[in-house]
Amino acid sequence: MEKAIGRQRVLLQHLHPSSGSDDHPTLSTSICAAGDSAAYQRSSCFGDDVVIVAACRTAICKSKRGGFKDTHPEDLLAPVLKALLDKTKLNPSEVGDIVVGTVLAPGSQRAIECRMAAFYAGFPETVPLRTVNRQCSSGLQAVADIAASIKAGFYDIGIAAGMESMTVNSVGRIVPVNPRAEMFAQARDCLLPMGMTSEIVAQRYGVTRQEQDQAAVESHRRAAAATAAGKFKEEIIPVTTKIVDPKSGEEKQVTISVDDGVRPDTSMSVLAKLKPAFKKDGSTTAGNASQVSDGAGAVLLMRKDVAMQKGFPILGVFRSFAAVGVDPAVMGIGPAVAIPAAVKAAGLQIDDIDLFEINEAFASQFVYCCKKLELDPSKVNVNGGAIALGHPLGATGARSVSTLLNEMKRRGKDCRFGVISMCIGSGMGAAAVFERGDVVDQLSNVRRIQSNNLLSKDAM
Amino acid sequence: MPVFKTPFNGYAVRFSPFYEGRLLVATSQNFGILGNGRLHVLEIDPASGALAELRSFETADGIYDCAWSESHDSLAVAAVADGSVKLWDASLPPAANPVRSLHEHSREVHSVDWNPVRRDSFLSASWDDSVKLWTLDRQSSVRTFREHSYCVYAVAWSPRHADVFASASGDRTARVWDVRDPRSTLVLPAHDHEILSCDWNKYDECSLATASVDKSVRVWDVRAPRAPIANLAGHGYAVRKVKFSPHRENILLSCSYDMTVCMWDYRAEDALIARYDHHTEFVVGVDMSVLVEGLLASTGWDELVYVWQHGTDPRAMP
Repeated sequence: MEKAIGRQRVLLQHLHPSSGSDDHPTLSTSICAAGDSAAYQRSSCFGDDVVIVAACRTAICKSKRGGFKDTHPEDLLAPVLKALLDKTKLNPSEVGDIVVGTVLAPGSQRAIECRMAAFYAGFPETVPLRTVNRQCSSGLQAVADIAASIKAGFYDIGIAAGMESMTVNSVGRIVPVNPRAEMFAQARDCLLPMGMTSEIVAQRYGVTRQEQDQAAVESHRRAAAATAAGKFKEEIIPVTTKIVDPKSGEEKQVTISVDDGVRPDTSMSVLAKLKPAFKKDGSTTAGNASQVSDGAGAVLLMRKDVAMQKGFPILGVFRSFAAVGVDPAVMGIGPAVAIPAAVKAAGLQIDDIDLFEINEAFASQFVYCCKKLELDPSKVNVNGGAIALGHPLGATGARSVSTLLNEMKRRGKDCRFGVISMCIGSGMGAAAVFERGDVVDQLSNVRRIQSNNLLSKDAM
Repeated sequence: MPVFKTPFNGYAVRFSPFYEGRLLVATSQNFGILGNGRLHVLEIDPASGALAELRSFETADGIYDCAWSESHDSLAVAAVADGSVKLWDASLPPAANPVRSLHEHSREVHSVDWNPVRRDSFLSASWDDSVKLWTLDRQSSVRTFREHSYCVYAVAWSPRHADVFASASGDRTARVWDVRDPRSTLVLPAHDHEILSCDWNKYDECSLATASVDKSVRVWDVRAPRAPIANLAGHGYAVRKVKFSPHRENILLSCSYDMTVCMWDYRAEDALIARYDHHTEFVVGVDMSVLVEGLLASTGWDELVYVWQHGTDPRAMP
């Protein structure tokens, strides 16, 4: 073994001359991972991959006070559905199904409202629609459902969407009607307010108020920077709606195209003044929890060969999805379990992932999940998260897809895999792996092996 | 022109001085870093023009260089990475080979060269910083030349003087030696970087070429070693091997880590005559046939051996 390292050193010297001043090195030796557990080679030959060709969202606005406070829920959904058609010039009758993630509204009523929204967006009566409710990950579940149906061969083109108007449907306390819940600890924990589960996470896993406030400051800072840099312009669809002045009752036409929850001036000292919202001596405050918001998002998925035939750009490839269950009392730890499951299902390792969108339901659970998975903070929520942008429950999953894929596009082809994950009320977690789709490796994927001494593991 | 696929990565190729179209190819597994070695004896089939294997010999470590005997038409010597120098008889089956295994170097042997004048001796250069002189009739080396302070990558006999040879080393010097003298007769600080190869001009006994990690090939007059006669720039990375033409005084052939083989006329103002980019990996070995003018051979880490006529496309199939 020593001999091999010695030989390698001698040969590397030929490429890495140690002396000499005039020439600037144009070649750097990189470590070849061929044969190791490197991520599989990018190839353009898999026509049955499910790909994302378009993703967009509305601005996310504060409920009851923000830009969509007087907007009907279906008027949030219709613009994003229509935007997908406008962007791609896809014939709407070719869409096989529309699945909408939505959480708080009564199921049947919301399903009908969504169906109406599809008509407003210009879909013909022949295109079906359904809703899905997996609480906070409903939007992501809609994407996964569409991807699964395309894989199953039910249809080739589908739309996954998500929407929530927390102005119209607010989070209410569930009153247990069945006394049986009192005898069953886990069932009882399902009824805990989400804020309480955040307090339990903070306490059980030792996440301090300081850490939580720090995460909130970072979220606002990044979101403000992204907004200022115009990073969201590509994904946000301007929505023209009305807004009623609360004092004069005057109705006014406005176009909403900017997230209004971001506070660039958020600082540790400001957050430190806030009182705990759920427990007297707790650490979860209005400042380090996700905002209550209105918004919608939509994603157009199809088989890769169909996309190529139609000449659509391939934003990303849907690689895997996993939903997992955790203890309802600490529902926030969901991503810490779901992400490894989804990454494994994609045949990857956490190190292979270049970008994460992890929903910041509460800073406590977000900080815990990042710590538990040992994620590099520079890869997670690089454009801020729900603490700054807001968390319209049903829409968040679909919103994250457009944010993630647009950021991956900006980062170039070295940013290859992205993960979206969120925790789910009543103790679950969901995660999905996306791969950028516009890059095909020429020969093989060469990646850095940090610990290895330049040799393929196969040679040891 | 003929192509031959070797199972291991190519390290050196040599035309036979006795048979047209017979070649010796040294190869090493895993780029010579770890694994076995194999010495191939190849021949161009005169009828079909295809390159076929006559024999191959296995070693337990990589083979970095090889040379045909100048005295016996089937004898060859190989530089093995385990520090040994092995003699092979291509007319004998693998079971009877190697006919001799000489183990004196403490590190990888990187180059061997057979004396073309006296024809009874050969040299080996090793990463243990020494050069050793061997004769066929003795089991141990005749002489050891220790002066270089880093790996000796190449050694080349003078084609005119039976006792003179040159060595090229990673200590950034090339040295000229007389085997009767234990010390070198000339130290040539030829480049500012490691020197990987050297060769003598076949028509001018004072002219020596060196190839270096600094991407250049330089031609020197050993009587006036202060400045090179020619500086040939054109390779993109370290130049791994350089050879003077056996037929033309001004012609040189070189191969490089930039995956190309270049032919030069060092006296011409526009020195680069031809650039062949048929390899897809580092080109490590080149040779020019003594018997057929313009017949070239190359091998590299892409595990391919090419034989072609200068001026034709090496990849063109016969």
